[in-house]
Amino acid sequence: MRKVGFMGQTLVYGILNGTVYAMIALGIALVFGIMKYLNLAYGSLIIIGAYGSLFLFRMGVDPFASIPVILVTLFLGGAILYKLFFSRLIELPEGEKIKNSLLIGFGLMNVFDNLAFIIWTGNERSLTPTYSGVTFEILDLRIPLIGLIGGLIAFFLITILHLLLSKTYFGTSVMAVSQDHEAAGLMGVNVNRTYLISFAISVGLASIPSVLIGLQSFSATSGMQWFNKGIVVVMLSGMGNIYAVFPAGLFLGIIEALSVFFFGATYREVTGLVVIMLVLILFPRGLMGKRIES
Amino acid sequence: MKDLRQLSIAVCVIGLLVFIPFVIRSEYLINLLIMFFLYSTIAQSWNLLGGFTGQVSLGHSAFFGMGDLMTRLLWTWKLPILLASFAGGVSSMLLAAIVGMPCLRMKRGYFPIGTLALAVIAQITIGNILPLPTYLPREYMEGYTHSSRYYLALSIAIVTLWVVWRTVNSRTGLAFLAIRNDEAAAEAMGIKTFKFKVKALLISAFLTGLGGSIFAYHQVSYYHEASFNLSWSFLPTLATFIGGLGTIIGPILGSVCFLTLNELFAITLGQIHLVIFGFSFVLIVLFLPGGLMSLFKQIKLPLSTRSLRGP
Amino acid sequence: MLKVEHLDVLYGDLQVLWDISLEVNEGEFVALIGSNGAGKSTFIRAIAGLLKFERGAITYNGILLNNKSPHNIVEVGISMVPEGRRLFPKMTVLKNLEMGAFVKKARMTRFEALNQVYATFPILKERSQQLAGLLSGGEQQMVAIGRALMAQNKFLLLDEMSLGLSPLMVKNIFEIISKINKNGISILIVEQNVPLTLRTANRAYLMESGRIVGQGDAKILLKSPHVKEAYLGMKPV
Repeated sequence: MRKVGFMGQTLVYGILNGTVYAMIALGIALVFGIMKYLNLAYGSLIIIGAYGSLFLFRMGVDPFASIPVILVTLFLGGAILYKLFFSRLIELPEGEKIKNSLLIGFGLMNVFDNLAFIIWTGNERSLTPTYSGVTFEILDLRIPLIGLIGGLIAFFLITILHLLLSKTYFGTSVMAVSQDHEAAGLMGVNVNRTYLISFAISVGLASIPSVLIGLQSFSATSGMQWFNKGIVVVMLSGMGNIYAVFPAGLFLGIIEALSVFFFGATYREVTGLVVIMLVLILFPRGLMGKRIES
Repeated sequence: MKDLRQLSIAVCVIGLLVFIPFVIRSEYLINLLIMFFLYSTIAQSWNLLGGFTGQVSLGHSAFFGMGDLMTRLLWTWKLPILLASFAGGVSSMLLAAIVGMPCLRMKRGYFPIGTLALAVIAQITIGNILPLPTYLPREYMEGYTHSSRYYLALSIAIVTLWVVWRTVNSRTGLAFLAIRNDEAAAEAMGIKTFKFKVKALLISAFLTGLGGSIFAYHQVSYYHEASFNLSWSFLPTLATFIGGLGTIIGPILGSVCFLTLNELFAITLGQIHLVIFGFSFVLIVLFLPGGLMSLFKQIKLPLSTRSLRGP
Repeated sequence: MLKVEHLDVLYGDLQVLWDISLEVNEGEFVALIGSNGAGKSTFIRAIAGLLKFERGAITYNGILLNNKSPHNIVEVGISMVPEGRRLFPKMTVLKNLEMGAFVKKARMTRFEALNQVYATFPILKERSQQLAGLLSGGEQQMVAIGRALMAQNKFLLLDEMSLGLSPLMVKNIFEIISKINKNGISILIVEQNVPLTLRTANRAYLMESGRIVGQGDAKILLKSPHVKEAYLGMKPV
């Protein structure tokens, strides 16, 4: 009985981690699906958001309450980044867009990470509100309050995003642009503005993983590892399919949790990656399978 | 005639380089030159695949790391460095064959993503499996000379240059260029594009692995994960961009520029030089994708000749 | 209504259109004909805002259109049916049509517009829930035209309606287009199918290698020796 309980507990953590992975992947997949950019600096932007919420926390603002502020700030920052850098790639063919956005993302990542390092040093930080350690006990399982709130917020956000995309004029224009941007322009859609807003939304969405990661721990250069998780989930969910991102993220989280249970903590990440590679080889939807022939 | 002139210039430069350790005592400068040879090697080998064949790999850090890891292991297990180095190159090539080849089969334009994922996976895996740093045993420390590192690095850089130069100027090289220019057209003309892309990948991986062996031989102690860091993927790309994609001299030029500027800024500015570096990277990608060679072409300097048709 | 004056278009350093001047008056059905590669599609895409042009001016009802974005062109009052239909493949027929009424001024009247489109193309009502990517060529063409009509603009640009369609379908489409024109919509059509176009249009311009080489009443052009020889394959008598 106790062993099952222990596995159940690790699964709980796996699911909570998976939620964070999914949120990160959502932002990455959104931009990729619409304009075929991969924002390599996404992890760094998450860390910047985390520092932002740390700053507000020290002024007395509750981490979850800081999310709207961070969201708006990142949204605006994302818009500026797009206008300054990413907008210049928009006319390029798909392959060039992917490559160049990765390269630019790398450059920006260096800028952000090193600026953060200079300003805040490489020390580990975390937000420590009073309710940090609070857990709920349900059926012998302990569920951290923070994780629960995080999960609820994530669910809430996904719903809003879905409604935005399917029920509003803006959402329909985004779908149209992602399917055929020239035709969308002929319908009266301001294509460039749609790209700008979508990119900004994607960066704004980073505010949720920002705070959740902030509540765990982060440092100036820890951004890349989160991007790594995100890109793996995006690949697993079929490169741009924002609806598949959630199950894929949970899948990764659960696999990692199971590997901790069976093999111990050391190989947590590797197992997840190996399983994902196997999945991609056996079920080649998305990346590996889109078009096998040349 | 041009060939002969370029060859003689190369021979002179190499001759000079061979004599340097006898003339210069400064460890700092020797180290800098070793780094230059290292960057030159990996930039040059990357360029064979990326610049000449048009397949931009963002996963070369995996090949670099693999070469470094294998060489380090074998060498610390008493294998002579030259053999260990060669084995390092071979192991990178094998890695490329196993995981790099599927990346070539992906949808058009997804090769960079696939190789990036490869590099990410490699970095995480090594970070998990080999988290502890590697040290040199005492006897190795006592026998450590900078000049031996220098000559290994120089030899590998020369070998790389020679291999790339020969390949590019062969029929294989023509196929590479055809693929880069228009893969569909090349296929239609009867060129088995996949076969040639694999060839470029394997040669490139082998040479990058050799580059990794320079690292293994040179560094005293480091975390295994360090050579799998994604920077080793992006820096050769940057150097080649600076110098000029798809040219022989581009990677060398780019490596010189990059390392010199890097050192200058590091000395004068400290930590913030990395910020400037990142920013310059962005600017170069946006505004100067042809690199310095494209600038030279416009001013028509004598350096800008063969194999130039940049993207 | 639509006036183009001395237009030049370049692809990078390569000039593809020279000094194009053209006019469409209210209610007219004007054709731009020429063989493949003459530059017709380039021209019409420049009007629609999909391409930039150097030198020259495009005015619509007095409004200068120089290098406006496509979405501005639609707002000004010109709708386009692009070459190759360009439907949104993952959207249903209905959603595609609704996208046609995306411009703010068209949103209020979209139900009315939809009914009119269904009246013109009854088969689309049946197919309204099908994914646009799965329709036949002719049906796709109908959706494309219907989509352009949803904006309730008074000017229509048509780019190569006949491509990829069976002769019967082409005849059908042209009859419908003619009817649309008679209902008061001005049309500029770009076409490779010379005989049918010249029989349907009021006036026509002839384009060869990026230049206008002739113009006039459509029926008269149809009988001209040059057109007969170059486009109808008839030897001069």
